[in-house]
Parts: sequence; C-alpha cells; structure tokens
Amino acid sequence: APIELKFSHVVAENTPKGQMAIKFRDLVNERLAGKVKVEVFPNAQLFGDNKVLEAMLLGDVQMAAPSLSKFERYTSKLQIFDLPFLFKDMAAVDRFQQGPDGQQLLNSLKSKGLIGLGYLHNGLKQLSADKMLKVPEDARGLKFRIMSSDVLQAQFEQVGAIPIKKPFSEVFTLLQTRAIDGQENTWSNIYSKKFYEVQPYITETNHGLLDYLVVTSTEFWTGLPDDVRTELKKSLDEAIAYGNKIAAQKARSDRQAIIDSGRSKVIELTAAERQQWVEAMKPVWKKFSKEIGQDLINSAVQSNQ
Amino acid sequence: MTTLTLFVLLLLCMLMGMPIAIALGFASMTTILLFSNDSLASISLKLFEATSEHYTLLAIPFFILSSAFLSTGGVARRLINFAMDSVGHIRGGLAMASVMACMLFAAVSGSSPATVAAIGSIVIAGMVKAGYPKSLAAGVIANAGTLGILIPPSIVMLVYSAATEVSASRMFMAGFIPGTLMGLILMVAIYIVARVKKLPAQPFPGIRCWFHSMFRAIGGLMLIVIVLGSIYGGIASPTEAASVAAVYAFFIAIFGYRDIGPLKGVPWRKENEKLSTATIRNLYLLPKSMIESIWHKEVAHVVKDAAKVSIMLLFIIANAMLFAHVLTSERIPHSIAETIVSLGLPAWGFLLVMNILLLIAGNFMEPSAILLIMAPILFPIATHLGIDPIHLGIIMVVNMEIGMLTPPVGLNLFVTAGITGNSIGWVIRACLPWLALLLGFLGLITYIPQISLFLPQLLDGM
Amino acid sequence: MKLINWLHHFEERLIGTLLIAMTLLVFVEVILRFGFNTGIEWAQEVTLYLSAWMVLLGASWGIREGAHIGVDAFVKLLPSRQRRIITLIAIVLCLIYCALFIQGSWVYLSKMAKIGIEMDDVPLTKWKAMSVLMIGFVLLAIRFAQLGWAVITGKQDGFVLADEGRDSMHLVDDESPGEK
Ligand code: NA
Ligand code: NA
Repeated sequence: APIELKFSHVVAENTPKGQMAIKFRDLVNERLAGKVKVEVFPNAQLFGDNKVLEAMLLGDVQMAAPSLSKFERYTSKLQIFDLPFLFKDMAAVDRFQQGPDGQQLLNSLKSKGLIGLGYLHNGLKQLSADKMLKVPEDARGLKFRIMSSDVLQAQFEQVGAIPIKKPFSEVFTLLQTRAIDGQENTWSNIYSKKFYEVQPYITETNHGLLDYLVVTSTEFWTGLPDDVRTELKKSLDEAIAYGNKIAAQKARSDRQAIIDSGRSKVIELTAAERQQWVEAMKPVWKKFSKEIGQDLINSAVQSNQ
Repeated sequence: MTTLTLFVLLLLCMLMGMPIAIALGFASMTTILLFSNDSLASISLKLFEATSEHYTLLAIPFFILSSAFLSTGGVARRLINFAMDSVGHIRGGLAMASVMACMLFAAVSGSSPATVAAIGSIVIAGMVKAGYPKSLAAGVIANAGTLGILIPPSIVMLVYSAATEVSASRMFMAGFIPGTLMGLILMVAIYIVARVKKLPAQPFPGIRCWFHSMFRAIGGLMLIVIVLGSIYGGIASPTEAASVAAVYAFFIAIFGYRDIGPLKGVPWRKENEKLSTATIRNLYLLPKSMIESIWHKEVAHVVKDAAKVSIMLLFIIANAMLFAHVLTSERIPHSIAETIVSLGLPAWGFLLVMNILLLIAGNFMEPSAILLIMAPILFPIATHLGIDPIHLGIIMVVNMEIGMLTPPVGLNLFVTAGITGNSIGWVIRACLPWLALLLGFLGLITYIPQISLFLPQLLDGM
Repeated sequence: MKLINWLHHFEERLIGTLLIAMTLLVFVEVILRFGFNTGIEWAQEVTLYLSAWMVLLGASWGIREGAHIGVDAFVKLLPSRQRRIITLIAIVLCLIYCALFIQGSWVYLSKMAKIGIEMDDVPLTKWKAMSVLMIGFVLLAIRFAQLGWAVITGKQDGFVLADEGRDSMHLVDDESPGEK
C-alpha cells in the first residue's frame, strides 16, 4: 500500500496556502504514484492550528503549514519573523530565508520532533483600524486584536496600544461594533476574512511578516525511503515556489480589490511617517534579542541590502 | 464498510439506551480502531480540541446559567405574568409572543441552541402555565430557536463567508428577510392551530394591571436591553454578552428581586424606614450578600442545575465532533458531494439534491463542520449554474437550521429535552409538525432567490 | 461507597466553581476592555481550559445526576430482566469507550510531557493543563462500574436519563407568586 500523507491546513483552497497544498498533492500523486498518496484537508476540517502540531507528533498528520507565530512554544528562535520592521520587502525575506541562517532555522524544531521543510509566504502585514493611523501616536489607547504571540503583544504595547486576544469567530463582530478598534494582517487575509468590510481605514505599513512554515515530523521524514524523501522534497519546493508566486499576486490583487470596494480607505505613509513607526516599534527587537540571538537578528538585517 | 460500521454502531448503541454523547463517541472510537491508521491518541486530542477550542460555544453555558437564575429567582415568573397580561387575551398570543422573543434573541445570539437555552425554559413554562399543551410549547420554541443562525449576527454565516469568498455583511443582510419571514410563518401557523385547537385565552386584565405587571417585570426585561445594548453598543461580542447576561441575572435575582439567596425576605425598604437609612442599609447589604451567596445553598443549586444541562450539551457536541472527524478523515461527505457535483444536473435539480444531501448531513454533523466541508465543494458548481453565492449561503443556513432539529445530532432537541426534562423521543415528536413548516420554508427559500437577495441588492443599488 | 459520595460532593462544588469562574473571567474581560481600556492576556486561553475541565470532569458527575440524554424508548418496551441485560451490555460498551480514551489519553499526554511545551499564555506545561482528559475518563469509568453494579444487584434497570431533571419546569407547579 502507498504511504499515506495527510496535509492538514486551516484556510480555504483558493488561498496561496491552499493552492500550494493542492499543487503538492498533484505533483506527488503523479510522480510517486503507488508509492505515496497525498490527501489535503483544508479549512481546519481535520485539526485547527493549535492542535495540528500535536497530531503530527502522534503520527496522524504528516504535513502542515501553520503560521510562524504558532511555533513560539516549540522554539523561541522562530520569533524572529514576528519582529516589527525587520525586513524592508519580500525580496529581503527571501534572501534571509534561503540563506544559511534561514535554512539553519528549519532545524530549530528538531528537539521537539519536528522538521521545517520550507517557508511559505502570505505577505507583509498592514494595520487596519476604525480611525486613521498616520503616526504611532494615533494608535495610542486603541485596542488591537492579535494572535497569541509575545512579540506581537510587545509590538503593540510599544506604541501604547492595547493588544487583545480573541478567536476569529468573535473578531469580526467585535470589529464591526467597534468594541475592538483594529487589527494587523496581510492584504490577502484582510480581504478573505472580510475585515475590510468593517474597518474603514487600512494603513499600508508593511510592518511585519506573516509567513508559514511547512513542517513534518522527524519520525515520518526520517522513516521514508531515501528516493521517496528526495522526490517529496523536490515536489514540495516546486509547490512552495508556486504558492509564493500566487501569494505575491494575491497581495497585489487583494489590495486593489479592497480599494475598489470603497469600503475601506487605504492610507499610504510618507517616508518620514513610516520612519516614526519604525522608531516607535524597534525597541521590541532588544526585548527579544536574548531569546532569539542577536547574531540571527543582525543576519536578518543584513538581508535588507 | 467503514461507513456502515460507523452508522450501525451508532444506531445500536442508541437503541440500547446509552447516553447519546457516548454512543457517538463509542461508534467513532471503534470505527477508527477497526478501519483506520489513525491512533486513539489523536482521537483523544480531537476530543480535547472539541472541548477547549470553540470559544463561541461558551455562549451556551452562559445563557443557560442566566436562564437558571431568572427562572429560579422568580424573575421569569414576572416576565411570564407580564406576557400573559399583554397577549394572553389573544388566542395563541403567548406562543406568538414567544416566537417574537426568540426572534429578538436571535438578533443578539449567533447560535441556535443558545437562543433556545436563553429563553426556552422561561417561555415554555409560561405557556404550560397558561394552559397550552407542553408539547406544543416545546415544539414551537425548539423551532423558533433555530432562527438564531438565520437572523444576524450568525456564527454559521461567518463560517460560510470565511469558507467562500462571500461578503459577511451581505450574508448578514440577506438573512434578515428570511428570518423575519420564518418568524411570521410560525406565528400564522400558531394562530391557525390556536383557532382549531381552541387554545386558552384569558380576559385582558385592564390597563392598570398591565402597567403594574410591566413595572414588576422590568428587572427581567432589562436583560434583553442589556444584552442587545452591549453587542450593538460596541461593548461585547455575542459570546461575551452571554456572560454579561449571566452576571446580570445573578444580580437581579439575588439582589434585585430577592426571591432566593441570602437576601430572601429582606425588603429594600422596611416599613417606616427613612430613605437614607434604607440606602445605607442596602449599600452595606450588597457586598455582604455577594460574599454570602458564594456558599449559599439556593445559589449553589441554581449553578448546579445550569452546569448539568451545560455539561450534557457540551459533552454531546464534543462527541459529535469526534463523529464528524471520523467522517471527515474517511472523506465520506467529500465523496458524496463530489459525486453530486459530477452528475451534471440542471440548477433546479442540483438545488434539490444539494438540499437532500445537506439535510442528511445535518442529521449527523454540527453546522460549522458541514459548511467547512460542503461549501467549498458545492460553491463552484453552484456559481457555475448561475446560483447567487449569497442565495446559496442562505439555503445552506436554512438547512443547518433544520439540522438543529433532526436526530441523532440535533442540538436544539437536546437543549429542549434538557430544559423540559422530557425524553428526546417526546421532544422529536413535539417538533415534527413545526419541522414540516421549516421544510416548506426551505422550499420557498430555495426556489425564490429574491427572498434572500432583495435586501442586499437593494442596498447595493443605494 | 462513602468515598464515592464524598467524591460526588467534591466534584459538584468543583464543577460549579469552574462554571462560575469562566463566566466571571469573560465578564471581567469585557468590563476591563470597555471600562478600563485594558485586557487580560491569559483570559482567552484560561477560559477555554476551564470549559474543558468543566465538561470532562462533569461528564462523570452527570452520570450520577442523570444529566445525560439518551433514547430509552426501545429498552422501556422490554420486560425488566431483558432490560437489565441490555443495559449491562451497554454499560460494558461504555466501559470500553472509557478504556479506549484512557489508553489514547495516556499516549497523548505522555507525548506532550516528553516534549514539555507550555501553554500559550500561562507558564504551565501543557500536559498538566490537559491531564483532565485522563482524570475525566477514569472517573467516568468508576461511575459506569458503579452503575453496572447497581444493575447487577437489581437496584436499577437502566441508565438514569434526564427524567428527573424537571428542575426548570418548577415554575409551572409552584403557586407562590414570590412577592407580597
Ligand atoms: Na443571530
Ligand atoms: Na441534526
């Protein structure tokens, strides 16, 4: 019987991650027909993001791609990707992730029984709110929804805002009724999760990164025959490249779709305004430099050149 | 074979009288053990996920707790008296008012079982007290409660929007007319039944008496104001508002009306007491009674009753999620839906078959799970056939409403059984005639898209 | 038996406390956010864990309380002897259900203990916070064993299903208007 490979993720199939998973499935089922059978479970049909890594360690899911913030309790190193204003654009992100340090980070989960197989992009994060945010001072006292992450919490506290943790099912109504003022997300998430319908202003800050890590369990990965593993990795790399291309396109087209909808005003920052945000949030780096490692942060900064 | 085992085991276990929750869990566990490579450990993980990762489900225990305080503390009795004085003179008036209350509550709660939990125990008791057959009262409320997901806000609609590319606000907008229509249909049906069955009517007690009972019910009526206000006033999400309701209900029962708890029998103002003395005395009593109620027997009893019903429901939901998990990981709903999509039916035929599929799925799975699996598969073919995505969404939501009332996994049935203390079979029978109405309504919604699309299109044009 | 009665009383208090704690936690969060413009970073996670503890501990307590709902229409048609036999078989299946979960939870919790990760917002290792999975099913098994014994000795011939839970309907019966 072929080796079963369950790929479980939490987003819709038409997202970059969903498309990447389907591409991977099709490539493998064609190239390794009879040897490996990939099945994709989108929309958290199998497990949510909080439990999928545990299910993977138990051997019931073989592949998943949670966002990098979800690994906080598995390794403090990956928190580097949550640091605000670390990368100036996606090209810099690519240079760092594909460089020696980025590749080394893929192994940072080994002691917990997981292996990173590659980075998958969603894009850079923007700030949306029910008020116009031009300078950091505008965010003072506002309530922002965040995912569970120490770095993101520190980032908002740094500008005097109040980070609030709430699950997605609650967030939409809370934003709609303005019980929470804002949130941070990528263009594609703001569009697909409909936040732009209830947030009148989006500031194009590009202040942080939202990427995913494609992971598998060490036990599964090392247990594969060598030729199968090589072929899987090759197919995965192709699928990730494909997914990243869609992510880049979607970031542009969803941004445009939001502007065209007229529901939300997109605010572009001048260089001087953006610099204020950078300076306001940058102290967060120092707070986490010990856990992450200053060398690693320096190396990420290097990739901006 | 896998599917057969799963369903046969479930059926057998249920017939043997096993608690439904355990019948669901046992059938799932055994099927996994026999036919799947999945481990028992990951099923345990799934059960923990089912009990600890669904924040919105918490509205159910919160609303149950709030209802428990209201009905034990005599607040509910005053509400019932007020309702009887207002509409008791119309045949079927109380039942119609109850449907109205459900619609109003649906506008604050995003979940159907939570809607039944919030007002079911009060209005069913009220109707029985007024001389209605209990089965009629229970059937009406279990059905009207399903409006919780059709009238916005609605968790299920949010799930649909997230799984497709449809605007959540437009979905909310679209649910408004169908929700109101369904409420009206129920009321008309009640009116007819009331005429035919000669349901009791009391004489109108007079305007003075009416004002008097309204005044006495104000503490209870405020609950709805507070819950509505905290959601639409930008203070709380629907789930959070449920916790506000519970705290308020505790307050009004213990400190406001003082029918139970440490202040039972202690008047707000003693005879001949000076206003200033009474104020100071009450200011002192407030913190004192709050502390005393921690170990007060009657308070503990209310909490215990609420915990009993909440746990029963949440444990069924958790095990039903296991059952859905097994179906999902064996890709059973996927393959059925894919078969239907490949049949190449015309739009009307596709809608018919889709409804049947969703109704069957509604028997065994919980709405969010169904939508997350079915919506992505059915959506592309529906849009290809020219069915409006918003219309499709509303059809699905109405199907999910019906699913709330069909065994073995029908959450509204369980809430109703829990709050009335009747058997599940009794509740199913009580719901049947009203369920037929809901099925007819599904037909209307399916083949008259304008009901769903009128409002969103009107607002587009503006 | 004394021990089980004590356990029952303790469970009841604990479960009530869990329900109140989660209600208050969410309530306080709302008050803090709206009134004081601040949040509790650990509130969401703790609320959810409290609910898991309430449900998983409460499942066994609910057996004794007759809280669980089942379909007893069929077994009620049978004469008492057959009914007891069927109920006993069902109880054995319930015990198997518990055993499978105890086994599964053990593997799961051991794995979590081995990798030793902590909860998101509380400095507590996850396996401890999830240990209720194991505890709950052990307690549930004890309850079923107890129920089985009652059926064997003829004290009971079926699951006590929610029949006695007419609590909320007392509104109908009691005549006292509540105020003077
Ligand atoms: Na609603
Ligand atoms: Na159902």
